[in-house]
Amino acid sequence: MISEEQQDQATLYALGLLGADEDAVFESELRSNAELRDLVRELREAAGDLALAAPSLQPPASLKQRIMHDVATQTERVVPMPAQRPPLGWIPWAIAAALALFCGLLALDRMRLERQLADIRAVDPLMQTTFYALAPSAPAPADAKATVAWQPGRQSGVIRISNLPAPEPGKDYQLWAVDAEHKDPISAGIVRVDKNGVAQVRFKPVEKAQHVKAFAISLEREGGVPKKEGPILLVGTT
Amino acid sequence: MADTSTAQQMLDQEMIARIGRRDQTAFSAFYDRMSGPLYSLAIKMLGDPAEAQDALQDVFLQIWSRASMYDPEQSSVFSWTVLLTRSRVIDRLRARGRRSRVVVGSTEDTSGAEADASVAESAADTAEKKDEAARVRYVLNNLPSEQREAIELAFFEHLSHHEIAARLGQPLGTIKARIRRGLLKLRERLHNL
Repeated sequence: MISEEQQDQATLYALGLLGADEDAVFESELRSNAELRDLVRELREAAGDLALAAPSLQPPASLKQRIMHDVATQTERVVPMPAQRPPLGWIPWAIAAALALFCGLLALDRMRLERQLADIRAVDPLMQTTFYALAPSAPAPADAKATVAWQPGRQSGVIRISNLPAPEPGKDYQLWAVDAEHKDPISAGIVRVDKNGVAQVRFKPVEKAQHVKAFAISLEREGGVPKKEGPILLVGTT
Repeated sequence: MADTSTAQQMLDQEMIARIGRRDQTAFSAFYDRMSGPLYSLAIKMLGDPAEAQDALQDVFLQIWSRASMYDPEQSSVFSWTVLLTRSRVIDRLRARGRRSRVVVGSTEDTSGAEADASVAESAADTAEKKDEAARVRYVLNNLPSEQREAIELAFFEHLSHHEIAARLGQPLGTIKARIRRGLLKLRERLHNL
């Protein structure tokens, strides 16, 4: 239960109206109060919405040019300078040669896999598979990842997840297909990882998804929800 | 944004993730999507197009350098960018030592002022934004007037609750409650609209 005083503080915090000291005190309270954190998030969203109440204007095109120029300049600045040649100058060349050989082997392997895939496709015209690489968002571990192989013709796919720890009790991971023709993501079911944080599951979205732009995994209430509520942990496009 | 679908929020997150990996194409698309509402907010608070453009430049460079720090647990991408913009604008207001020339309550659409618009946006994107903005204005304008007034003073003029209480001649507790109730009601009504 959140008191009215806490609600007031949360409102002022979301609007940036607390002083630095009050901010620090409130943030320490936030760390131990999940209900309060949810309220702050709601209030922040309301504050975000408020921006849309300002009369609609567009900046001049020259502003975008300025910003893109700055970004390009910053990117150039972080390109590392070539290091001084070490006394053992042949070592980098040896490493480069080894890498080139390795890349060659990988390319051969890839060609072999592509041939196999082409063969399978030739046998089964329905097997038009699209791959989606899902990367972690902030709440997920940085090394968590997933790959989705999606067959639109069959309206089914397979997801493989790794390095994603099991959710806390009372929660489940839920897979979503973001389809261009649907306003909301389409549920593709619950995905349960094993004790090593790995899962490989075949799935089928609950509605037809003909133009899937992305797949995502969110953390939801146990058993899943019809419409996404929780935070996104992994998301990715083709 | 207000009625931005969850699908759009997920795409925003994907865009931010790509910007975090230094993807300039994603950054350019993100600018096209967000610059209108953020610029409108900066103009409303600062009342000066040149200063609003400088503030927006700061904001987008900050987005470029801090995209990897975005935390979806704390806010949606849109709210994150709005709060960043507000923060940069408040820095400028403090620096120049005077308040913006905002006319509280002037939330009507001034689409005529869009004549200088030159950012390439799809018609669908623009229509979607206008629709969202209209919904927010509708809900805001239908809040009890004392709540709307307190919220606008806090959000657009960045007056503290003490300053708002003094300006409106109301007790501090009343002002805090008006802002809280108004903001929660705004969120709830936008959800249900």
